[in-house]
Amino acid sequence: MSNARKDWLQQLDEASKQKQEQFLNGIAAKLQRPRMTQKPQRPLQGAPQFWEQFELGEVEKLEMFQRNFEAAGGYVLRAATLADASNIIVDKAVELKAMHVLRQDEQLLEQLGLEQAMPQVKVRSWNDDALEDWKARAAEADIGVVLADYAIAYTGSLALLSSKTKGRSVSLLPTLLFALVPRSSVVTRLGEVLQPLDELKRLPAGIHFVSGPSRSADIENDLTIGVHGPGIVYTIIIDEL
Amino acid sequence: MSTQQTELKGTVKERAQLALNNDFLRQAVKFTTERLRSGKLKAAEEHGNWEEWRERGRQIRLHTIAHLDYYLGEFANNARENGVHVHFADTAQDAISIALQIAKAKEAKSAVKSKSMVTEEIHLNQALQSIDCEAIETDLGEYIIQLANETPSHIIIPAIHKNRYQIAELLSEDAGEQLPPETSVLAGYVRKKLREKFLQADIGVTGCNFAIAESGSIVLFENEGNARMVSTVPKTQITFMGMERIIPSWADLEVMATLLPRSATGQKLTVYMSGITGPKREEDGDGPEEMHIIILDNGRSLQLGDPEFQELLNCIRCGACLNACPVYRHIGGHAYGGTYSGPIGAVLTPALKKNVAEWDDIANASSLCGACYEACPVKIPLHDMLVSLRRRKVEAGHDHPLERVGMKGFGTVMSNVKVYHRALKLGKLGQKVVVRDGGIRTKIGPLKGWNSHRVAPSISKQLFREQYGELRSELDQQAKAADPAVAARMREWLTGRDGGASHE
Repeated sequence: MSNARKDWLQQLDEASKQKQEQFLNGIAAKLQRPRMTQKPQRPLQGAPQFWEQFELGEVEKLEMFQRNFEAAGGYVLRAATLADASNIIVDKAVELKAMHVLRQDEQLLEQLGLEQAMPQVKVRSWNDDALEDWKARAAEADIGVVLADYAIAYTGSLALLSSKTKGRSVSLLPTLLFALVPRSSVVTRLGEVLQPLDELKRLPAGIHFVSGPSRSADIENDLTIGVHGPGIVYTIIIDEL
Repeated sequence: MSTQQTELKGTVKERAQLALNNDFLRQAVKFTTERLRSGKLKAAEEHGNWEEWRERGRQIRLHTIAHLDYYLGEFANNARENGVHVHFADTAQDAISIALQIAKAKEAKSAVKSKSMVTEEIHLNQALQSIDCEAIETDLGEYIIQLANETPSHIIIPAIHKNRYQIAELLSEDAGEQLPPETSVLAGYVRKKLREKFLQADIGVTGCNFAIAESGSIVLFENEGNARMVSTVPKTQITFMGMERIIPSWADLEVMATLLPRSATGQKLTVYMSGITGPKREEDGDGPEEMHIIILDNGRSLQLGDPEFQELLNCIRCGACLNACPVYRHIGGHAYGGTYSGPIGAVLTPALKKNVAEWDDIANASSLCGACYEACPVKIPLHDMLVSLRRRKVEAGHDHPLERVGMKGFGTVMSNVKVYHRALKLGKLGQKVVVRDGGIRTKIGPLKGWNSHRVAPSISKQLFREQYGELRSELDQQAKAADPAVAARMREWLTGRDGGASHE
């Protein structure tokens, strides 16, 4: 960033801080009380209490996740081991004649051995080369492979947290998405993933919840799949991981 | 390509006439709202304990708005910690001026936009066009509306009023080749076209469903993935948020995530829910390098401290009140003439503008049936607000002069028994000219509105008042003392009613 631009941004920020005081004082005046500077007491926070006690058993949790994810148009498969998951991905890639596969740069995904299993396919690993245009690589990918941080049974959602090795584009730009989830990472409620975020010092830049393929009903209420994001989404739940 | 501001022309009645005469619009709006409404009811029932969730949602919103200065300050400070450039805008013009400064500094040639009612409200697209920065709507429905040079007619399904033949025509013109009116082909074309736009754009513009004070994050709900595109691919992101979008914590987001998608479309969760906390981290491979959040007042603070309207700021923009409203379902969104339509629009538009006179007929586009309140996931008493709005309109002297004369006349006649009796007698005599088959069908004078679709009853030949003396003496002879137990029970009911209707 040029120095002139840095200076300009700094000026904007200074102006904004002054404006903030005026803006917030205005709100307090409208509320007919002095500015509030202490954290207000909260009698109630988050979901109702009865909900916090809602917890499904192991089997029901997996069943409910599958039911909800499939109802939204996604697919759920079970795999005993990482090797089984690898076979599922390779079979699909071959069946659909994929040319480009992009996976997150994570050890477990490296252990899938996709590169070795499909020498004819260009398999890349996210952000392992600073000079590469990674958004373009994601845009051309037929298949994206990610390891989800959680799966949520009640809403049928995957939770994906971004980092250096976990690009947001990998779960968004490819036509087909494979999300791997260790069985132990399937939870019952959305709150089980959201509440711990309140405790983190610094959050990842992108926290994405994905509940099936991209969809739209904007043309005559006719459901269309794959409008901007992936049109086909597979979750593979892996027992031993 | 610009979404031109639909200027407010004529009265709500005239604008509705345009809608009512358009058969397709009426059918489409009915079908869609019915589908969304039944989806919502089903989702709410399936989830269970809906009233408790609603009440919790209301409590969270009430608390946040009551302490808005604290939470907004906390949000802004935390967002800055994350590396966001936060800006405060009192008016639409202020917000536009900040956005244009950023775009100019970037020498931006194009901006891709995900759905944002705030940018509709401030007419961002025209402003960007004016500095030769192309503004591209990327939500499928919004893209169609932009090609047609129109404004959204429904908060959730903006192109609700267009059929696929009309859409195929618009997209064919855009593509320079004939596209068949098949949904999958049309959506496929838009996917491909917008892919290029996402990758080329200098700026990504998003709205904001919720802003989390404790972490300085913004949260977006969507189904298509375009909001994720807009907040992942371009180098600069500008997020517009109404100043009331705040919730305190991620724990509170669970309640909003439970209420919003179910109320909007009947989904358990939208396909994507994204929490974005600042620009990309130094080491990240994607995400915006520079992120701005523009916090907008534009009339919102006028509701603060106003006991009748403060709860308007609790709105989470789900559109459930539109789908439930019998008036909206007949006239569609454009008849309301503002950015926000339906019951929420009927209250919000005049409230934000504080110019009751100009919008004087919008509050009348409601049957006050209360379906909007029943549907609202955060229990905003919209029907009460509509009554307050009408009352304020009259108090400010913006009512119709003829209506005022009528009301005054009614007052004079009804407050004096003799005058009333004389008026009735005169009416009995006078109506002879117009009564046909026991009813009045003429459409002259004040009877025009009513008699266009109905028949007004005539004044009875033998008035109740004239028979009353006779009836009374008959009754007196038969009258017995009421059963004391019944009388006591009735008194009890009456005292129980003293508190008036509450919406708890």
